[in-house]
Amino acid sequence: MANTNLPRRIIKETQRLLSDPAPGISASPSEDNMRYFNVMILGPTQSPYEGGVFKLELFLPEEYPMAAPKVRFLTKIYHPNIDKLGRICLDILKDKWSPALQIRTVLLSIQALLSAPNPDDPLSDNIAKHWKANEAEAVETAKEWTRLYASGT
Amino acid sequence: MDSEDDMHDANDVESLDDFYSGETALASDEDDGDYEFIDNDSDDSEDRTSHRQQQNYIILSEEDICVRQEEDITGISTVLFISRVAASILLRHYNWDVSKVHDAWFVDEEGVRKTVGLLEKPVVEFNLSPKEPTCGICFETYPCERMNAAACGHHFCCACWTGYISTSINDGPGCLMLRCPDPSCGAAVGQDMINMLASEDDRDKYSRYLLRSYVEDNKKTKWCPAPGCEYAVDFVVGSASYDVSCNCSYNFCWNCTEEAHRPVDCETVAKWILKNSAESENMNWILANSKPCPKCKRPIEKNQGCMHITCTPPCKFEFCWLCLGSWSDHGERTGGFYACNRYETAKQEGVYDETEKRREMAKNSLERYTHYYERWATNQSSRAKALSDLQQMQAVQLEKLSDKQCQPGSQLKFITEAWLQIVECRRVLKWTYAYGYYLPEQEHAKRQFFEYLQGEAESGLERLHQCAEKELHVYLEAVGPSKDFNEFRTKLAGLTSVTRNYFENLVRALENGLSDVDTHGACSRTSSSKNLGGGGGSKSRGGRGKITSQRPFPSQTKGLDDTNHWSCQHCTFANLNSATTCHMCHNRR
Ligand SMILES: [Zn+2]
Ligand SMILES: [Zn+2]
Ligand SMILES: [Zn+2]
Ligand SMILES: [Zn+2]
Ligand SMILES: [Zn+2]
Ligand SMILES: [Zn+2]
Ligand SMILES: [Zn+2]
Repeated sequence: MANTNLPRRIIKETQRLLSDPAPGISASPSEDNMRYFNVMILGPTQSPYEGGVFKLELFLPEEYPMAAPKVRFLTKIYHPNIDKLGRICLDILKDKWSPALQIRTVLLSIQALLSAPNPDDPLSDNIAKHWKANEAEAVETAKEWTRLYASGT
Repeated sequence: MDSEDDMHDANDVESLDDFYSGETALASDEDDGDYEFIDNDSDDSEDRTSHRQQQNYIILSEEDICVRQEEDITGISTVLFISRVAASILLRHYNWDVSKVHDAWFVDEEGVRKTVGLLEKPVVEFNLSPKEPTCGICFETYPCERMNAAACGHHFCCACWTGYISTSINDGPGCLMLRCPDPSCGAAVGQDMINMLASEDDRDKYSRYLLRSYVEDNKKTKWCPAPGCEYAVDFVVGSASYDVSCNCSYNFCWNCTEEAHRPVDCETVAKWILKNSAESENMNWILANSKPCPKCKRPIEKNQGCMHITCTPPCKFEFCWLCLGSWSDHGERTGGFYACNRYETAKQEGVYDETEKRREMAKNSLERYTHYYERWATNQSSRAKALSDLQQMQAVQLEKLSDKQCQPGSQLKFITEAWLQIVECRRVLKWTYAYGYYLPEQEHAKRQFFEYLQGEAESGLERLHQCAEKELHVYLEAVGPSKDFNEFRTKLAGLTSVTRNYFENLVRALENGLSDVDTHGACSRTSSSKNLGGGGGSKSRGGRGKITSQRPFPSQTKGLDDTNHWSCQHCTFANLNSATTCHMCHNRR
């Protein structure tokens, strides 16, 4: 019923996400709310998150696509641009959002962020400091967290 | 009195007179009755012209702003051979600095076009082969005529454009830098597209932002900070004075946009305001408008602008609001020296409740700050009171006075001028307390000179304020025309003029960092001034330096011999015996 007036764009995006998923990413709408997506991103190879399966939630607000989707990590992750609550610091989710971007592009950008953490634009100060002071050690912690919190099932 | 003494006194008076009158030639004592003429048109128009010559800013109404903006856009558009919309985008990008646009454009047109998003030709060919192209935002198909694109050629449907533009406009002034929705494209979206695709409401908002940007992003212009005022100020950068007087009558500093604060610099003002907010809790009690009468202890409210308070009957004790000392210790009995501006004095008089409270309250530094803050704040509220009195005067009282005293309105201008002067002087005086607070403790000669000048300013202004407030009252309440109204006019106009000169010189002296003291004051004579309080002999008095930097200071004035002074009949100013005319009102002895 909440989905009766679902814009054509959302329906099309959803169809394509299901029929032609991006590698390492799955997104499926919740059954009772077609604007709410359960997302899984596989940790990219050669990143500290390799081997991890990360759960996220994605919500398309009423103004979508004029406003950006709301995305959040549900799985605990040690990353300088992601905070304790799983919120993500990514420009296209804020001022760089454009209605010509899509759910797919957003999720691909998040995946790329896992491969290339950017401690100069941090969301989590402590982790960013750790990353800058001793990257090797920070990467170890990220690997440890991936093993502890993101190892499937 | 020996002749040497007289000679030095004469010097004193002369140099003090310099300070009072400055470059402006004052009516001399020969033409006592001439104020009537002086306060009329001649004096006034001269003032206005000189003001106009110095003026280094222009007040702009909304219309003026529009006109200027249009002119700049037209100028750029003509010189660079680009559309007006493109010129507007370009100017906005360079903060409306015409010469910066020129420079950048002629150095690297291609580079500028790229950063600003002004494309010469589309980056994509709009493919007309599918009859019904798909919009990249809503994924719907539309006939070509319902699609639109910026210069880049990225087409989206009109409905999506409208939504895109509306979202951006409602996000704030960033909409002035709007780009094509395609994430890989930086093509600018200008006002032509806005006007074509946005709702009427959004179009209005957009042009408001554009107008505001012309003021807010332009280095040479600012809005008047007065609440509700819609004028902007165009300022000639590099001018000597930052003071701006807006058409709404608000005076402010262009540099820091605080209320006008000459003679204090912006940095000191910022420090002082910060200090005040840090101490605001401690200071709340000071702003209370009531204090116990020093004699009968009943709470007395200050409802007048001047500091001379009279307790209600039967007590009727006259005291000074600032130091709670008896008023008879101020003014003529003390030889015109006004003591309550000095920090030390307040401490010595510690017999009153308020002073005791102050003691308990904190250690020295807070006490010192309290002293200056109270005087700063009191002058501020006095100024506010004077401003509302002035308005009341202009709205009601002057007409009443004109009726009662059978005077045409043009003959009553001296009253408005007096009140305007009071408002301005209260403002200056207020800031001298911030000046005093930050004047280094170890600069004794400067401090002494400063406190003397400030004390004279307080007492001179007090005299003017009382005259305009209390003495005027008599004429307002009179049954019929008063015989001595012309005398009153002479006195008030004289006090106004004298006070104006004094304050102008005071401002200049403080802005120069009291440099007179460096050259004249800090010499060996200073030490001899220590003897002044007790001795008072010709030798030590003769030791006074230039102007009055070594005069006996207020705390010692009680020991000053009253026979050295005569009290002016007209304004009660205590003049030195050697003076033949009063240096407050210039009437003969
Ligand atoms: Zn484009
Ligand atoms: Zn569309
Ligand atoms: Zn104004
Ligand atoms: Zn300033
Ligand atoms: Zn009393
Ligand atoms: Zn006093
Ligand atoms: Zn006089």
